[in-house]
Formats: sequence, structure tokens, C-alpha cells
Amino acid sequence: MKLRKRAVGAIALGVVVAALALAGCSSSSPAKSGSKTLDVAYWNYGPEALTNQNSYAKGFEAENPGVTVKGIAIAGTNWGEYYANLATLIASGKKPDNAVMSSEGVKFLDQNHLILPINDYLKSDPEGKSLLADIAPGLMKSLTVGKDITTLPDTWNDMVIYYNTDLFKQAGIAPPAADWTTDQFEAIAKQLTDKSKGQYGFAWTGTEVFPGVLPWIANQNANLVSGDVCKATANSAGVEKAFTFLDGLIQQGISPVPPSSSEVISDFQNGKIAMFGAGAWPIATFAPAGFTSYDIQLYPTGSTYKTVVGSGGYPILKSSANPDLAWKFQKYVTSAKVQDALIGTPTNPYGAIPTLRSTAKKSADAGIPPANYKLFYGSIDDHPSLTPFPGPAKYTEFESTVLRYTQLIFGGNETVEQGLDDMQQALSTIVSCK
Amino acid sequence: MDTRAAVGFLAPAGVGFVLFLLLPTIAVLVLSFFDWNLLSDGTFIGFQNFVALFSDTRLASIYGSTALMAGGILVINIAVGLLLAVLLETRMPTWIRTFFRFSFLFPFVVSSSAVALIWRFLLDTDLGLVNYWLGLLGIPHTPWLTSTAFAPFAVILVNSWKTLGFSMLIYIAGLQGIPNEVREAAIVDGANAWSRFWRITLPLLSPTVFFLIVINLINGFQLFAEPQVLTQGGPGDSSRTVVQYLYDTAFQSFNLGYASTIGLTLIVVLIVLTLVQFRLSRRWTFYE
Amino acid sequence: MTVSGPRIMSVLPRILTFAILVAAAIAIIAPFAWILRASVSPTDAELYRLPPTPFVSDLTFANFGSVFVQLPFARFAANSLIVATSVTAIQLVTCSAAGYAFARLQFRGKKFLFALVIGSLMIPIQVTIVPLFLAFSKLNLTNSLWSLILPPAFSGFGIFLMRQHFLALPRELEEAAKIDGAGHIRMFFQVMLPLSGPAVATLGILTFTYWWNDLLLPLTMINDVNQETLPVGIVLLAGRYASGTLGSIAAGITLAILPVLVVFIIAQRWIVQSIASSGLKI
Repeated sequence: MKLRKRAVGAIALGVVVAALALAGCSSSSPAKSGSKTLDVAYWNYGPEALTNQNSYAKGFEAENPGVTVKGIAIAGTNWGEYYANLATLIASGKKPDNAVMSSEGVKFLDQNHLILPINDYLKSDPEGKSLLADIAPGLMKSLTVGKDITTLPDTWNDMVIYYNTDLFKQAGIAPPAADWTTDQFEAIAKQLTDKSKGQYGFAWTGTEVFPGVLPWIANQNANLVSGDVCKATANSAGVEKAFTFLDGLIQQGISPVPPSSSEVISDFQNGKIAMFGAGAWPIATFAPAGFTSYDIQLYPTGSTYKTVVGSGGYPILKSSANPDLAWKFQKYVTSAKVQDALIGTPTNPYGAIPTLRSTAKKSADAGIPPANYKLFYGSIDDHPSLTPFPGPAKYTEFESTVLRYTQLIFGGNETVEQGLDDMQQALSTIVSCK
Repeated sequence: MDTRAAVGFLAPAGVGFVLFLLLPTIAVLVLSFFDWNLLSDGTFIGFQNFVALFSDTRLASIYGSTALMAGGILVINIAVGLLLAVLLETRMPTWIRTFFRFSFLFPFVVSSSAVALIWRFLLDTDLGLVNYWLGLLGIPHTPWLTSTAFAPFAVILVNSWKTLGFSMLIYIAGLQGIPNEVREAAIVDGANAWSRFWRITLPLLSPTVFFLIVINLINGFQLFAEPQVLTQGGPGDSSRTVVQYLYDTAFQSFNLGYASTIGLTLIVVLIVLTLVQFRLSRRWTFYE
Repeated sequence: MTVSGPRIMSVLPRILTFAILVAAAIAIIAPFAWILRASVSPTDAELYRLPPTPFVSDLTFANFGSVFVQLPFARFAANSLIVATSVTAIQLVTCSAAGYAFARLQFRGKKFLFALVIGSLMIPIQVTIVPLFLAFSKLNLTNSLWSLILPPAFSGFGIFLMRQHFLALPRELEEAAKIDGAGHIRMFFQVMLPLSGPAVATLGILTFTYWWNDLLLPLTMINDVNQETLPVGIVLLAGRYASGTLGSIAAGITLAILPVLVVFIIAQRWIVQSIASSGLKI
């Protein structure tokens, strides 16, 4: 007994020593002498995020010998959580040079004085200017706060409807046209609902706002916030109309109570739902899994049609010790070379839309699934988009509040009217411009 | 007096106590008087956070949810734990007893988030196995995770499933502590199993029951992982616990000052609950 | 009175007893069995089919591989191991020493200090995460394993457990050692501890599994995915755009459970023995 205890004690001691060593190693990374390190914080939302970050890093390092790009993978199950974790990271003393930012977080990061605007860089840097010229103005607008241009976008996404081509064929339904209405959509979804098989016509996510209720709100000519993002408009007529429509789908058994984002994707892949809404990200999951029986179409028109667009980039953080190098990295990920490589291959496509117009044309011709791929670009070039993006400064709290009430409404715990009124009241202190 | 030795033996724990319990607790109190945004240091605001407590309707309803879930977990642990412990006293081959004990105790050592994730799939309204089996019995599909009525019970179910084994174990210890002579004397006196249980066993088990009530209540009020993974505290706040609210206030709303105030209320609640337990126990706990 | 009369009377309770026990055991084991089965399923289609088929047609371990591709799962496991082991080591040292002091030493203020120990049970670590986070932030130690190892250093429950155990050790041993001229240190290390195997093992296992499974502290202190622990990893696995297959989520859960299962199989004997023995009379 004594001997065994000594052994256990020794092992425990050894592990503690190892812990000391490892903990010491992980919190400080000694840079090679003479080399510069770029710390890039990004959202680790799935395996693709890691591979993407690594390929950016390797490519940049190859072009800039002596520079090491260190990726800081930040946890979170939606954008709101990512920003909360990023803020915590920065508050705890880490000073990344760049951090992935999306439309959701523009106001948050800017208002907390975390971003170094790139206006000066764009004025003085000819490369920057030429990149700017090749990017749709709508994308730049969503990344501008007041006069501050926060970043060049490297990817963007918009919302389209995915539909299962096999299920459509089996039911004898023709592929939907771009100008289909919500009524036609509902009829098709109803046809594709089969309770005996546990098959739903349509589903949307209850754990995120952008791919969830937002496109439906947009197409009722409404928004969750006012034009200056200073007031919440959660119980406006258009929002109520959108929610009532969606709630109706649940009541009729056409849609399940909204599950999580990953469940929607895997349910679609397994034929449990016939249609769902998303940007380009599912194609990165479907293609490697060999799932190809799907295509995309615009969201059905309500009282209007507006594409819901979100873009993202790698803004330079104010705390960066290396702003020039960070600017170089930002330009790099937006450059034609990297953008062209982003397209990927038909069996391994990238899960977002490249931002350069020139690249856009190339990817449409590259055979990236689905068949209607050019619709991704078409939607921002040929159609108006929803502005402003509902991303108030307190984004994390905003998203979790909106989701909390949508869960109450769609779970049948509150009526649409009551739920939206409660949501509006809760949001009144969160969405404000003091 | 072994004062010098005592200092030596108590020092390691003492350091931990001061650094990681005492100072943080005092800090919670102090922080409550500040408005502390995560990204900038705090400003003193006096009693504002405490005043805000009273107008915080969410906090009241969250305490309600927490108390409901803690209560449910308590009842199941106390009752079913005892049942299982008593049933395991039946004569049976040792290996079968070991098998049962092992099975009941196993969930206790598994991570709450793993347990909750498993149950998230099992309790799914359409695809979950629980509703499937209930459906075979003619019960319509229950919206375990999406209805304010059922969500807290889903949490109660999942956490009880996990903690039951430990309560059972404590009961087993308690039962083994009852001297055989007492039981034999009762049999000789002609008492049947039922009255033996109520008149002899249970009173002698009362210290154990008391211990389990205290432990389970404290566990219930500091619940975090199961509701976080199972329902995120939803829908609404129906399955939200105080600790979840504290965490969200601190790291989602970035209001560290108010989050500390919430923490203070929890300390007070736990102290009051435990003191009440101790007081009440004098009436019904029987120590030899 | 027929032969079957009294027999039924004595058999019925036994049948009922075993029926309940078996039902309970099934209720406990079934979810794990389901997850295990899901983890070796080649496609999700099988899992979506109800009723579930107990045996997998095409057993595959591919899901386990995909888990490691999606997230740095090996790192999560390593981090969890380091944290749990370190916390256990620290607590075993502090709690047995303090437990011995409360059980066997005489000193002023013993009652007061022990009341503090019991009182600490009412201040769970959950309420102190805000100042703990701020403190570790300022020291630049968040996103390191230190922020997970140090805060649990003190455990009132552990001290209580060890004190109860030492209280129950027979005094004759102590007296015999005193006659031999043993001081407290010798008494502790050479007399008391060697007899404390089950109690130390119990505290060790309870502490290890609790901190192996903790979710709140890593969520608070760690934002960098590479410093996360298994419980957070499991949550991330079912996060936004996981592989999309239930199978790999199940595989991740199975991987997280297996080490604990192994430790538990080995050690459950000790836990039951020490808690059930009169030494830990509560």
C-alpha cells in the first residue's frame, strides 16, 4: 500500500510539473529572433474555419518570410458568443493584431474603440484602392460606421433557400422560380410535408438570427432595428407579419419548432426537411459528404424582396503593435490570388462567397455546386439588400434576447403579438444610441 | 496545544482558502458597488445595483425556475435514492449487486455537458427516443425542450438521472451504519418489514437524509451545465438557473458589477437555506 | 395452506424488487448504449430511423477519426487530464493535512475555523467567477491552464471528508505511536496516511471526476479553443456547423466518457468501500 501510494504520489507530482511546463509554454510563445508575429483571432465555428485560417497563414508567411501568423481560435456557437469571447480575450490582456469580424459585430467592435479604421490606408495605398474598386459598394457599406471604414471584406454570405431536388422530383413539383411568393412557398412546403415519414417541408434555425427569421422579416419590408440602428422595431407590422407566417407553418405541422443551426443542416442532409435557408456555408459540408441532390433559389417574395447580406473581414485592432503588417494581412486575404483560390473545387468548395467581382465571375464558371450557384452573386448585384444590418453595439445581448423570445413564440408558449411586444420591451434598453 | 503543528497542517488549505475563497467573496461584495464593463475599469455607483435587483423581474422568475428545478431534483434524489438503496439490500449474488451499484453510480462521474447533450437528442420532440417509447404507450409527443411547462422538468430529469447514484450511495452508507442488533430486536418484537422500516430504519437514517437534503439543495441551486447545454435556460427563462443568469450578465451583457450582485443574492439564499435546514433538523433528526 | 401460498408471499416482493432494479438499470444504461451505438454508425440515416435497431449493420470507427479532424480533441483531453490531475493532487495534499489537523490536533479557534470550512460549502465557486476572472485577467493568466487549476485549490468538502475519516481511526494507534515518541509529522505520514487508502482514493476520484467534468470554469477563463477542456469541446462539437453528422457528435461524447469509465471501473470498489464503511459516518 505504501509503495503504491508513493508511486501515485510521484506520478501526480510529475503531472503537476508537466502542467507547469505546459501552462508556461502555452501562455507565452517566444518569437524567433528577428521575426515578427501576427496574432489573428478568428471564430472556430467548425473544421472549415481552421483549415481556412491555416491556409491564409501559410500563404501569407510564404509571401513574407520572417513573419509568423498565429491563429487564435475563439469558441462560440453563434456570432454573439464569438464577440463576447473575443471581448473577454481582449479584456484579459491579449492583443491580437487582426480579428475576424462580421456585419453583426461592426458596431460592437467600433463603439468599444477596438478597431483601427483603414481610411488612411485606403487613401495612400494604391493596392488598397484597386481592391476597393473590385468590391460591390453594398458590401463596403455594411462595414462602414459613420465615416470609419472598418475593413476590407474577404468573404460574405447572403440568404437563399435550399431545396432537396430529389424530394421535389418525387412529389412532381417544378423547381421554384425566383419570383415565387410566400403563398406559393407555403403550398409547396405543405405538399412536401409527410408526417408518416417524419418529413417536414421547411425548417429554420432557432439559434441564430441571420439565417433564421431575418430573411422573412426583410421580405415584409421590415427590420429588427430602425434605420440608424438606434431603436428596436421588434413589434412593427412587418415583423409581426413575418412571425405570424412562420408560426403558421409550425401550427400546420409544416415546420418543426426551430432546432439548432447544425441540426437543420444535418436534418436536410438526411431528407428530414425538404427546404431550409442558409448562405453558402452548407455547400462546404454537403460536397465532401457526397450529398448533391439540392439546389438554391431566392427567398419567396412577401410584400417586397430584399436580400439579406452579411460580410466579414479581418479588421486591424487598435491594440495591434504591428498595424502596417496587419494591414498587409488584410489586403492579402482580399487579394485576387487568395480570392481565386477560395473558390475551391466542386468536391471541396469554400463555404462563403468571395468578395471580388472578378472572382465572382470565375467561380460561377467553375462548376461549384449547386447548379444555381450564380444566384449567390446575382442576389446582391441584381436585387436590393436589407439595410441596415441589424447589428447594434450590444450585439451579443441583442441576439440572445431576440432568440429567447423567438423560442418562446415558436415553442407555443407566447402568442406572436405578446412575444414581439415583450421582445420590443426587452430590446429597448439594449438597442440605443446614448 | 499543538498550535505550531496545526499551523503547519492548516497552512496549505489556508492559503487556498484566503486566495480563492475569502478574497473572491469579499471582491464579489465590493464589485457589487461598481459599474464594471468588461472592457474598461469600473466606476463606483453606490447601491444602484442593489436597487436594480428589486426591479429585475427576470431575476425573480429565474429564482423561481431554479427553486423549482432544485426542489424537483431534491425530491427525486431523496425518494428514489432511498428506494434503490433499500432494494439493493435484498439478498442477491454479490456480482449482481455490484453491477447494479455500478450502473446507478456511473452517470455521476460523467461530464454534465456530455449527459445533457445525450439527453438533448433523446428528448427531441420528433426524433427523440423518449417520445418514441412514450408514443408506443399512447402518450402524444411531449415538447420536452421547447415548452415552458416541460423544459424545467427535462432539466430535473437529466440532473436527477445523473446525481441519483450518489444519493443512493450515501444511503447505503447510512443503512450499513444501522447496527444489526437493532433490526434483529425489532424482528423479535414481531414488527413486520413495513413498520420496521418506518419506525426503526428511517429515524436512524435521518442524519443521512439531512445530509442529502443539504447537499442536493446546494447542488440544485448551483446548477449550470445541464440547463446550459439542454435548453440554454429556455424557452424564455423557464429552465434558467441563477448561475446561468450570473454568467450571461457578466460575459454576455458585460455587466460585471451587477453580476456580482446576483452572486451575492445566491450566497445569501444558500446560507439562509442551509441555516433553516439546520434549525428544522433538530426537530426531526435523530442522532444516537 | 398450500406450498405455493407462502412461497408466493416471499417471492413476490423479490420479483418486484428485481423488476424495479432492472428497470432502473435499463433507464440508466440505455442512453449510453444509444450513444455508443450512434458513434459506430456509418450514416445518420440509421439513427434517424425509429425504432432504433440494436445492432449496427456496418460497424465503423470513421466517426472517431472525424472528431479529431473537426476539433483539437486530443488537446482537449490532454488539457482536461492536466487540470483534473493537478487539482486532485493539490486537494489531496491540502485536504488531508487540514483534515488531520481538525481531527487530531488541539488548537485555539478550532471550532471557529471548522465552522468556516462548513460555511465555505455555501459559497460555491460559481458565485466567485467574476472576481476570479478579473484577477486572472489582470495577471494575464486567463487562457492558460493555471486559471483552471488554482481556483479549486481549496475544498471544504474535501476537508470535511478527510476529517470524518481521521476521526474514525482508532486512537490506540495514535497512542502507540506517541509512546514511540512520534511527532505529528511522523504520525501523519507513517501512521495515519497509510491507513487512509480508501478515503484518499475516494476523495481523489470524486475530485478528479468533478474537475474533469467541470464546464463553468473553462467557459469563463478560456476563449482560445486550443486551451479548452473536454466538456467545452463536447459543447462545441454540437455547435454551429459541426460535421453535420450525429455519428461524430456521438463519437466525441463516447471519447469523453471512456477515460472516466475506465477510472471508475477500477475505483468504484474503493468508493463504495470507503463511503459505506463506518469511517465516513455522516
